[in-house]
Amino acid sequence: MKYDVAVIGAGVMGCSTALHLARAGMKVVLLDRGPICREASGVNAGTLTMQMTRAALIPYALRAYEMWLRMAEWCDGGHVLATACPGLSVAFTEQEAAMLEERARIRASAGAPIEIVSAARAREIEPGLSQHALLAGHCPMDGFASAYLTGRAFRPALLKAGVDLREDCVVRDVDPGFTLDTAAGRMDARRLVLAGGVWLGEMAGWLGVPLPIKTLINQLVVTERMEPVMRTVLGVASGLLSLKQYANGTVLIGGGWQGIGDNARGGIAVKPESFLGNVRLAAHAVPALREARVVRAWLGLEAETADALPAIGPIPGVADAWIIGSVHSGYTSGPYMGRILAQAILGEAPELPLFPIDRLLAKENAA
Amino acid sequence: MTSPLRIPGILRPAEISLTFEGETLRAPEGESLAAALLAAGKRHLGDGPHAPRGLLCMMGVCQQCLVRVEGRLVQACLTPVRDGMWVTAA
Amino acid sequence: MTVVWDIAVLGAGPAGMAAATEAAQRGAKVVLLEESPAPGGQVYRAPPPGFVMPTDADRRAGDGLRAALAASGAALRLGVRIWGVGGGPLVPAGDAPAPFRLDGLDAEGRPFDLTARTLLLCTGTQERIIPFPGWTLPGVMGLAAATILLKAQGMLPGRRVVVAGAGPLLYAVAAKLLKHGAAVAAVVDLASHGEWWRALPALSARPDLLARGAAWRAQLLLKGVPVHAGARIAAAEGVAVLEAVRLQKLQAGPERRIEADSLCIGHGLVPAIEASRAFRAQHRYEPGLGGWVPVLDAEFRSSVPGLLVAGDGAGLRGAAAAPASGRIAALAALRDLGLMSSITHAKACAPHKLDFAQAARAGGAMAAMMALRPALVAAIPPETLVCRCEGVTRAAIDAALDEGALSMNQLKQFSRCGMGPCQGRLCGEAAAELLARRVGGREAAGFATGRLPLRPVPMDALLGEFDYADIPVPAAAPI
Repeated sequence: MKYDVAVIGAGVMGCSTALHLARAGMKVVLLDRGPICREASGVNAGTLTMQMTRAALIPYALRAYEMWLRMAEWCDGGHVLATACPGLSVAFTEQEAAMLEERARIRASAGAPIEIVSAARAREIEPGLSQHALLAGHCPMDGFASAYLTGRAFRPALLKAGVDLREDCVVRDVDPGFTLDTAAGRMDARRLVLAGGVWLGEMAGWLGVPLPIKTLINQLVVTERMEPVMRTVLGVASGLLSLKQYANGTVLIGGGWQGIGDNARGGIAVKPESFLGNVRLAAHAVPALREARVVRAWLGLEAETADALPAIGPIPGVADAWIIGSVHSGYTSGPYMGRILAQAILGEAPELPLFPIDRLLAKENAA
Repeated sequence: MTSPLRIPGILRPAEISLTFEGETLRAPEGESLAAALLAAGKRHLGDGPHAPRGLLCMMGVCQQCLVRVEGRLVQACLTPVRDGMWVTAA
Repeated sequence: MTVVWDIAVLGAGPAGMAAATEAAQRGAKVVLLEESPAPGGQVYRAPPPGFVMPTDADRRAGDGLRAALAASGAALRLGVRIWGVGGGPLVPAGDAPAPFRLDGLDAEGRPFDLTARTLLLCTGTQERIIPFPGWTLPGVMGLAAATILLKAQGMLPGRRVVVAGAGPLLYAVAAKLLKHGAAVAAVVDLASHGEWWRALPALSARPDLLARGAAWRAQLLLKGVPVHAGARIAAAEGVAVLEAVRLQKLQAGPERRIEADSLCIGHGLVPAIEASRAFRAQHRYEPGLGGWVPVLDAEFRSSVPGLLVAGDGAGLRGAAAAPASGRIAALAALRDLGLMSSITHAKACAPHKLDFAQAARAGGAMAAMMALRPALVAAIPPETLVCRCEGVTRAAIDAALDEGALSMNQLKQFSRCGMGPCQGRLCGEAAAELLARRVGGREAAGFATGRLPLRPVPMDALLGEFDYADIPVPAAAPI
């Protein structure tokens, strides 16, 4: 029995790709060495904002935003409590204000509806915002999701679409053609999609393709339920804060502060200095946060390519092999990236251009 | 120390006054706030999602004895009573 | 210049007190950290300052340990809340292990951190309560909780009390309630008469404990307190607070209703392994020791070099065994630090190892009686809350399991069970048992990833005063 396609990695990228391919009639096997959406896709901050999205990715993020908000419609009722709300990216110093204006301009020209507003206007939009704010970028269409629900949202839809979902099934190697050496034995597939997040480099190595992928160890912090203290998605000019309050009252603090970990061990420890810095920045932006107790800090691994742009497209030199991931704020645009890669795999022209990885391949060292 | 729950035959420091939800209570200084509230018949300390809260583990683990002291969230079982303490349900 | 301690001991119960005393007496630089304002832990919990209670065997034992500690030269940090642990193996890949680091809030609520070459965890246990209908009614409290209330606060939990659960604590609490004038409406013991008889041989290793237990039972008999063996609490009833309980034999049968204003119920003790999990030390599942325990060698070293675990937190063996285990661990640490020769070490260790073996035997029999009884979990009705912090019912957990959540982490993601401020301490055992039924046992079910903070920590205290310019913001994200 030969699958039409094997997708390795059941995060949002792999799930979306697998779902779209299965619905187009392909026989799909989706494998993950752990449970579905248990890595970055299940533990990220769930920020659906244009203001932390790279300019080049704004067109993709805008389309993905709609997909997240309407997930129940295309995912058999599955959803991640996606909530639309305004977003503010805040500057506290003159230098940050200058950065903010520049970045807002760039993102706006890429299609994001971002305007610069005064501190006073920002506080009208977000009464919880500190008096220290000088200026803010305002995007009326921002939002957030509960990332931890992502696996639960995708799983029934995948099964209903006939995807052979193999959780807790590590893939050890892939031979050309393709034969997968997995914990559940050998599997054969005509096509291959690598969707393994920070492990994409290792996966590409199975096919002899040298793809350097950097691993970021992102820290996240959540409070206990508290009274309403904010109603927008908040960030800062540098992109190093994400802040939102969920309907249940918990506040999630992120922004890419680095902890300790690696591909082999995962995220193993919070760095106290990063923890403190991140939480101080959050309290500086929303002073009422000081009233809360921190309940948990955790870590998620995020992939980054050399130019911090996605790795999405065919794998050079290996027919019928594709790669998707390393998008940077990939959760935001995840479902859409899976859709357009599926289009390419199905032989259609993808709605928006992919991000071929030829540019990223490490040069072979001279012998 | 008129509560029937306080075991006799124990020497306790002098009583102080505290308020819980506006009502004045008396308790020996240093007694745990959870115990003082229990002694005064105040067993319902607040509400969690779908259920009331009251003291459960007495050792700072269960988060069921949360109350506010001068607005600040504390675990009553870990908080000794002091004179003039202003306590509200959490 | 920052002090690097030789040994940091976390938890000043009998194991921690004895360990710190032993190490300090032998010249090591020892710091003992404790959340309560005074050393003692749960069993030997000191009453608040100014409270003077009639002394008993436990009080004398605790005072003895406290006195030795005070004279030993060990540094004490009381009233501290340790929220963070680090160092050891928690370093970037390729780095050598670092000294251990503890982050906490001091007695005044100010942040502090300290560094130690060795970390000895003596964090003891916490009580396990398996959910049942009405368990959230105010008036329902733990059995160990009732012990703390009685012994450390000099207070009765109610006027008409039902005492329920398993283990000797049941009878200790019931006897104490009677002694101090409360009515004990019933003792509801999960253990059958047969279980108690079978435990006798092991108990006879400690004739003093045996005698004490017999005395408790005699007092109950004298006062005509009904003792229901092999029975469980089917439900707690009441409108806003507890008013009555319903009990039922484990083998099913009619329910009996008993009026009460207090239910003291405990289903055993579980080692507190938050810190050892945070270090990614190896653990194993041992029901007779309370459940998940760190994997330890004969001298209480964990799988992480420099990290040792002693006392009930290393596995339930009772308060009598705890000081010996603390001393054995302390001596092992001194040996490993090069502060003791192997000859001196062997000689010093020998008597404590004998003490430990003897005390552990009786303690072990009791622990077996307090082991989790899966029938209690099976009996949880669908609409009963399991996770109180997040309002997650049994039905919601079952639904999550049905939808493919087959590990503790995934169960958490799918249901939110364990995401609240108790950090899974109240719901974890029941949730793990429900998962275990689907995946073939507790080992397969595992436990959720150990993370910081070890306890909820107030943001306010953590942040302190700071200037915006102080915040070390990393390089901006790419545009």
